[in-house]
Amino acid sequence: MDYTKYVLKSEEELKDLLAGKDNFFVVACNKCFKEFETTQEPECRCLMDLAEAQGKHITGSVNIDFLCNKVQTEKKLAGIVPEETQNVVVISCGLGVQTVADLEKVPTFTATNSLNYVGHHGMALTKKTCGACAQCYLNVTGGICPIVDCSKSLVNGQCGGAKNGKCEIDPKKDCAWEKIYQRLEKQGRSKEFLDEPVQLRDYSAVKVEEIKAYVAEARARRYEGFYGGVHPTENKGYTEHLALQKFPEPDTVIIPLAMHIGAPANPVVNPGDYVKVGQLIGEQAGFISAPVHSSVSGTVVAVEPHTHPNKGPGVMSVVIKNDGKNVLDESVVPNKPLEELTADEIIEIVKEKGIVGMGGATFPTYVKLKPGKPIDAVLINGSECEPYLTADHRIMLEYADDIIFGLRAMMKAVAAPEGVILIEDNKPDAVALMEEKVAPYENIRVVAAKTQYPEGAEKMLIKKVMGRQVPSGKLPADVGCVVSNTSTAKAISDAIQKGMPLVERAVSVTGDFIRNPGNYMVKLGTNVQSLIDHCGGITGDDVVLKMGGPMMGAPLKDTNVPIIKGSNGVIAIAADHTEEKECIKCGRCVDVCPMELQPLEIYKYGQLGDAEKLLTLNVMDCFSCKCCEYICSSKIPLVSKINAAKGLVMPLLKKK
Amino acid sequence: MLITRLKSEQTITSLCAGKVFIINCHGCKEVGFPEEEANALQKKLAEAGKVVGTLTTDYVCNPTELALRLRGPMAKIAEADAVLVFSCGVGVQTISETLEDKPVYACCDTVELPGFQGVTPLEYDCGQCGECFLNLTGGICPITACSKSLVNGPCGGTKNGKCEVCPEMDCGWERIIQRLKEQGRLDVLRCATQLHDFNTDQATKTAKESE
Amino acid sequence: MKITELFQNREFVVSAEVGPPKGIHIDGMVEEAKKYLTGVHFVNVTDNQSSVMRLGSLATCKVLKDAGLSPIFQLTCRDRNRIALQSDLLSAAMLGIDNILCLTGDHTKLGDHPQAKPVFDLDSVSLLYAASMLETGKDLGGNELVGEAPKFAKGAVVSPCSDSIDAQLVKMERKVKAGAEYFQTQAVFEPEKFIKFMEAAKQFGKPVQVGIIIPKSAGMCKFMNNNVAGVHIPDELIAELQADKEKTKAGITGVEIAARIIRECKPYCQGVHIMSLGWESKVPALLEQAGL
Repeated sequence: MDYTKYVLKSEEELKDLLAGKDNFFVVACNKCFKEFETTQEPECRCLMDLAEAQGKHITGSVNIDFLCNKVQTEKKLAGIVPEETQNVVVISCGLGVQTVADLEKVPTFTATNSLNYVGHHGMALTKKTCGACAQCYLNVTGGICPIVDCSKSLVNGQCGGAKNGKCEIDPKKDCAWEKIYQRLEKQGRSKEFLDEPVQLRDYSAVKVEEIKAYVAEARARRYEGFYGGVHPTENKGYTEHLALQKFPEPDTVIIPLAMHIGAPANPVVNPGDYVKVGQLIGEQAGFISAPVHSSVSGTVVAVEPHTHPNKGPGVMSVVIKNDGKNVLDESVVPNKPLEELTADEIIEIVKEKGIVGMGGATFPTYVKLKPGKPIDAVLINGSECEPYLTADHRIMLEYADDIIFGLRAMMKAVAAPEGVILIEDNKPDAVALMEEKVAPYENIRVVAAKTQYPEGAEKMLIKKVMGRQVPSGKLPADVGCVVSNTSTAKAISDAIQKGMPLVERAVSVTGDFIRNPGNYMVKLGTNVQSLIDHCGGITGDDVVLKMGGPMMGAPLKDTNVPIIKGSNGVIAIAADHTEEKECIKCGRCVDVCPMELQPLEIYKYGQLGDAEKLLTLNVMDCFSCKCCEYICSSKIPLVSKINAAKGLVMPLLKKK
Repeated sequence: MLITRLKSEQTITSLCAGKVFIINCHGCKEVGFPEEEANALQKKLAEAGKVVGTLTTDYVCNPTELALRLRGPMAKIAEADAVLVFSCGVGVQTISETLEDKPVYACCDTVELPGFQGVTPLEYDCGQCGECFLNLTGGICPITACSKSLVNGPCGGTKNGKCEVCPEMDCGWERIIQRLKEQGRLDVLRCATQLHDFNTDQATKTAKESE
Repeated sequence: MKITELFQNREFVVSAEVGPPKGIHIDGMVEEAKKYLTGVHFVNVTDNQSSVMRLGSLATCKVLKDAGLSPIFQLTCRDRNRIALQSDLLSAAMLGIDNILCLTGDHTKLGDHPQAKPVFDLDSVSLLYAASMLETGKDLGGNELVGEAPKFAKGAVVSPCSDSIDAQLVKMERKVKAGAEYFQTQAVFEPEKFIKFMEAAKQFGKPVQVGIIIPKSAGMCKFMNNNVAGVHIPDELIAELQADKEKTKAGITGVEIAARIIRECKPYCQGVHIMSLGWESKVPALLEQAGL
């Protein structure tokens, strides 16, 4: 099945079209809703040959997929149509033609006819059709559509035209009403049908005004702030109302020396050593690295490889037997008040106390605070756009003052004149509280944004709040911004005000299959299985566990792993059984990619091993937000495919 | 591109004489799916003890994926007297064919949205009429931009440049003539009388067969 | 007699409009027409005007013809596809009703059956073309008609005071090309706009009857300003109607205004078409005051 929606007009028609005109530029769409091939469709060549045979000058041509995507087409067409062009000819369905006609100043023509595929709307190239009549009759007809399956769209029963069960206007086509009768008979529902009142079509049920208004609104909503994104079901109801509880003291903690991006810390304790809460147990091992501290007081049992929630087995970890006394290390003493601390002192504290991005990325925070560029604003990400998770939400409600303190410290560290806290509007209580708390600070404001995943990603956040686009391959600091997570801000506050390193964090234990979901303050190194057990265990047998949210969280193959600095949640959700199929060029991934990439192309050229092409597709911009995979109608695991493609590009990048 | 809207509560309740199994399709949720309303209604049905199980999934229009995903809840579906489907008409038909012995009911009405591709509804619409008129009309589709799909010029119903059927909508032909005038191409309308060809689905079939 | 013959004789052609009743009792309408419309050359019979279901236009035409009047058969494309429309054209010709006026028709959503399927298989232009085709002895499908081909006087409408004159002129030209031989206009209340329009429309060389509505009240004018496409009534006229309520109520002011507009437009057009909207009784007075 192939829904390709146009054919080239006949040669005579095309000659008529070209007659009396010259200097053509050709824009061709490579068709959608068909099996994805990287070869060019023949129509463009065909038209150019014909035009040249007529002695016409072609000023140039371009192939653009999904011409109908106006946002992307506008960027792709910018500046490529040569001055001398007098006419643009488009090869596409009517949507693409109209898009180009709207964007181009010179007369724009189509060389094609859109095929009449009214009714075929399934995403999966299905043979099933729907007339979108706004008055579904399927309940009367046993699930067979009388609007599209019956040539006359009859809604009250068969006409007299059926012959041998076939339609009078197409002997190859089954009579829909024949099929309906059979289905109803089979289900014993014939009487039910007889008793139905006379059906009268209501042609006013499709309300043009409503649809137009809906379209305008949906379009505005989808492009508000940043391009793309998705809206997965939030499912935050399980835990958003539950206050953070202190998780019971673990017997033993296993603290990996790699809980951050960059070089793992070097252990500075040995088995048998007694350690206290906040004591350094692993030294920072490079510029991009972070120190590690003990979350308990007790005896070091071992320094040995253990299974890590993201990295798998073999990650060097410090195993400590907890004595439950919570003896504080001597280094845990409050610092000077913020007013008296210099920028360098703040950065030093953040570095020494092992603070890393707690939203999941775990990038050492002190590095961000040394941007080497002027910073206009520090942005706090309180969006928590991942479904299910509520840890940041609770932190905002319960540690609002600490977050603001942490924000002020960061603003001072980078000399930023402004601080912004972005919170999604599905957390009105947090918005209200934060607004109240920032009131005394003229240079800090709260932005309540419409929910849209992945709003919390640095680049999206900056675009939404500041209206600035971080260019491909650049960092937030390049556009004058520093972005930090709410939990990170709270950790900075603890580091300065209490002298406490990052040794515990808020974790949501939730999902459709956790018996008693909850939010907990958990010591780093606490065993994940013990969290699940504490919450009553897993209900159901066909369940997937993840550390983090359902979108960017890592699947937990083994629950005998510790909570680390980036662990914002442990979730148990339904397993989805799907099968990867051929890409059908539905274009949805292109529409949702917040980095404005073409995931399907990256996937295809990755398969072909074409690293040069992948580089032109900006493959390295992908930050694995998973929107494409979420929306993929062919169930292709696009993120892992793209990661593989990145691997292909790496050698090329190094060479350059 | 399709969007779904919920049928009335009364209609849906009337479909629940016995026990029901519910299937939600979120495949086109980014386009339009009344998620909140559907949830609220399903909660009511569950409280009334009508629901034996629920499956929330995506792209039920894909028969092979659907079969895989129905494997798990099949026992529950067997317990139910009927299956309620919250999806577009394509999804309902796919499910009712897969579960041929079970009454499968649609809980949504389906409406067509401008644009066929992708997730974002488009400002352009293509009626897929099979006989593109865009070259006569400066690239503005008279089939979809005109309430009457007129192909020979505007009717007399334009008021302040707006359509008689929908005062918020610009008269398509007003836009067409404006565009042609700007491009100095009003002459193209001196062409022969245009006649709709409602037989283009036949042409489609021929085109597909010759491929 | 065909309306086109009258135009050829350089007569100033007067027509008036009647709407069939919603029901089968037509005697009252016929009596009124006989009483008040004998001074006009032709009587237009509307086709489910404003998308409101009524007695058929063709049957009404036949009754009026039998009563000695000369009907113009109005056809819209809203309710019939090309098969029914051509069939009705043949029926009309067979009954000797050969003056036709081809319109697209209001949308179904504006009438009393908003749920109805709007057809618009043809439109006013292609309907004129269909009539022209029939005159050549073939139907739209290219099939031969049996025997002598019908002959019509093919009319069409145009909106000279529309806010989109360019669009109207383009459409008018297309109608001419498709076979329109005369035009009746939407109601005119601004003669200067009409005159300007006629300057531009002169190039087509087709007779035009200026459309006239007798304004019944200021309220009616305001309603039309807000709701009727292509109609605009200037404030001065509304003030004139408001000045003497009694006189307006009696129809005297309205007839005065309408007669004045006819006199002003007359030098620039070839006839007048009166849409009396129930005030058929005022038509004789109007014709007299307009000097017709």
